[in-house]
Amino acid sequence: MAVRSGAAGGARRLRWAARLLPWAVGLLAGVLALGPALGPGYVLRYDMVFVPDLSPGTVLEGADGFPRAVPSDVVVAALSGVLPGDAVQALALLAVFAVGGAGASVLFARAWAGGGPVRAGTLAASAAAGLAYVWNPFVAERLLLGQWAVLLGYAGLPWVVGAVVRSAELRPGAGFAGVVRALVPAAVGGFSSVVLTGLTAGPVALLGARRAPGGAPPGAGGPGGRRWARTGLFLAALVTVALPWLLPSLTSGAGTDPAGVEAFAARSDTPFGTAVSLLLLGGVWNSGAVPAGYGEPVTAAVRLLLCLAALAGWAWLLRRGRPPFGAGLSAAAAAGLAIALLGATAPGRELLGWLVGLWPGFGVLRDGQLYVAPLALVQALGLGAAVLWLSGSSVAGEGGAPPQGLPVAGAVRSPGGDGPPPAGGSRPEPAGLWRMVLAVFAGLLPVVTLPGLLWGAGGVLAPADYPASWLEAQRAVAGDGRPGAVLVLPWSAYRGIDWSGRPTVVLDPATRLFDRRTVWNDDLVVGTPDGGTVVVTGEDARAREVAGLLRPDPGTGLPERLDPGVLAGAGVRYVAVSAPVDNQFWSGVDGLSVVVEGADMVLLEVQDQHIKADKATISGLEVTGGLVTVGAIIWSMARSGSSLVFQCLGPSSGSGARKEIPK
Amino acid sequence: MIKVIAACVIGAALAGGGTVLATSLATDSTATAEPVNETLYNYGDR
Repeated sequence: MAVRSGAAGGARRLRWAARLLPWAVGLLAGVLALGPALGPGYVLRYDMVFVPDLSPGTVLEGADGFPRAVPSDVVVAALSGVLPGDAVQALALLAVFAVGGAGASVLFARAWAGGGPVRAGTLAASAAAGLAYVWNPFVAERLLLGQWAVLLGYAGLPWVVGAVVRSAELRPGAGFAGVVRALVPAAVGGFSSVVLTGLTAGPVALLGARRAPGGAPPGAGGPGGRRWARTGLFLAALVTVALPWLLPSLTSGAGTDPAGVEAFAARSDTPFGTAVSLLLLGGVWNSGAVPAGYGEPVTAAVRLLLCLAALAGWAWLLRRGRPPFGAGLSAAAAAGLAIALLGATAPGRELLGWLVGLWPGFGVLRDGQLYVAPLALVQALGLGAAVLWLSGSSVAGEGGAPPQGLPVAGAVRSPGGDGPPPAGGSRPEPAGLWRMVLAVFAGLLPVVTLPGLLWGAGGVLAPADYPASWLEAQRAVAGDGRPGAVLVLPWSAYRGIDWSGRPTVVLDPATRLFDRRTVWNDDLVVGTPDGGTVVVTGEDARAREVAGLLRPDPGTGLPERLDPGVLAGAGVRYVAVSAPVDNQFWSGVDGLSVVVEGADMVLLEVQDQHIKADKATISGLEVTGGLVTVGAIIWSMARSGSSLVFQCLGPSSGSGARKEIPK
Repeated sequence: MIKVIAACVIGAALAGGGTVLATSLATDSTATAEPVNETLYNYGDR
């Protein structure tokens, strides 16, 4: 009796470990990676711009063109209503690691153990998978590029894969709700996140779970019918969460400059060339976004070995674990790598340029390295499998069936139910000490081969406070109820700041600072290795119009003089000079008054009573789209009585585990 | 159980040592700092 009681206690502890460990791994990785970035202050770097008291109006009326900041910045603005902006940023960044690490960890445990009890070896392997998913060159480079919203969508990929597989075994309503719930991170992330999710989970839906051996799959219709039903359900959910940016983009008329194909093509960031760099999950276009020391031959070579081991582990997992998403995820990873490689070859660039010319929507393919994300998931799960093999825990499944029951549809359907013990009942052969040491070491290798991500990427992600003059300018504009836009000068999108004591380049925060329409130069200038530049033309038509009126000096981005009448005619109420400049071009100009004057910010007001108001840029259709998305997410949460956090956790014997399955 | 704990400790120690070694490599090769106080900046350099 005592033995049985002890065994039950051990099983209970393992169940709790299975619930908590995935999140602990993600959170710990996030704290280690972000370090000082989680402290007070704003981390500003390239595309990552958080400001105090971000206004939804700033986001929705910020600029014409493609709505890239929707809905991520709208969500940030909403949260900024209840939390300080720097706390919102810290939460968003930490969520990337927690949600991503937990997702990959849980997905691995489900792939291997199905609905059955999880053993210690599986737990360790799933922790390795979680760590590998959030600690790799893709995450590091996108983080250093400031693309937190993309990373949020990336973090949700394992959850979506799991939800798509489960949806096949549920009634349509429950399946749809589960997928929508899993799509929340992608929904918040916006355009790129949704596209990435479609690439990753689309093939999983299409190729889907294979048929259970010895019996017909549950649910109505044959496997082919269920496959198409599942794919249709996934696409419907994807479109539902995409409405906030999809509808505005259809009416924006934004174009895509084919010059971006060359500017944003993947490049080599290791000694092994572009193709291998991409295979290693690196290869981002911007050399400034590569973690320190990443391209060193020694660490890159170890990273390559790790990558090969992870791919071997994936092959082993496919053969032994036969996860229901195996074929689909493999296809997604191969397709993603192929897209990423397109920009690395001349014919591929030509093809992309032709596609972009054909339809601007293909512009999403310009930044090819983005699409190695499904490969990152494959490698993370593969590393988990390699650790499992090394730890010796995999021997329990020998004899035909995977260790804790084949993760076929029936097992996956139960998001948390304990499965029966393995038919053979064999205990795993205890592994040797050094084999276990090797397994632990292999599980931590992602950190060893990428130390440049540690502690705010070596201090690169350092928080800073906004200068007082910036906050004063923000308050001054917010306190003015009269219409008119803010013109941001110098006429260049990016600024070099050292507010944290460490120089960094960032999208001008003044483009987000004010609670009204801003007019700024959204052209993107990318330096090339030969010292030249590629200019990717922006999408804001009004910016082009104002540039024609200002005629700024290409060397300084400043106009020779400002004409208040011209500015008023262009609907400009304020001019924000958001960088230190020597040329005080506003001095002695009648009709311009200085509102704020500081070393880093000068705010000028146009003294004209006839400044036209900006027309409303949000249509009823767009509002409806946003409401539909929010309503669908709330409905999906209410339907299951749970949240993303609990929908795919480890095994439990509670009755709530089958809450999603209507009887 | 003791063996598992020992494996974790040794494995983590090895990984820690490897990380320190790799960090020293990374520090030696740290890229140039980005300039500040210029008026115009690129989005990035390839």
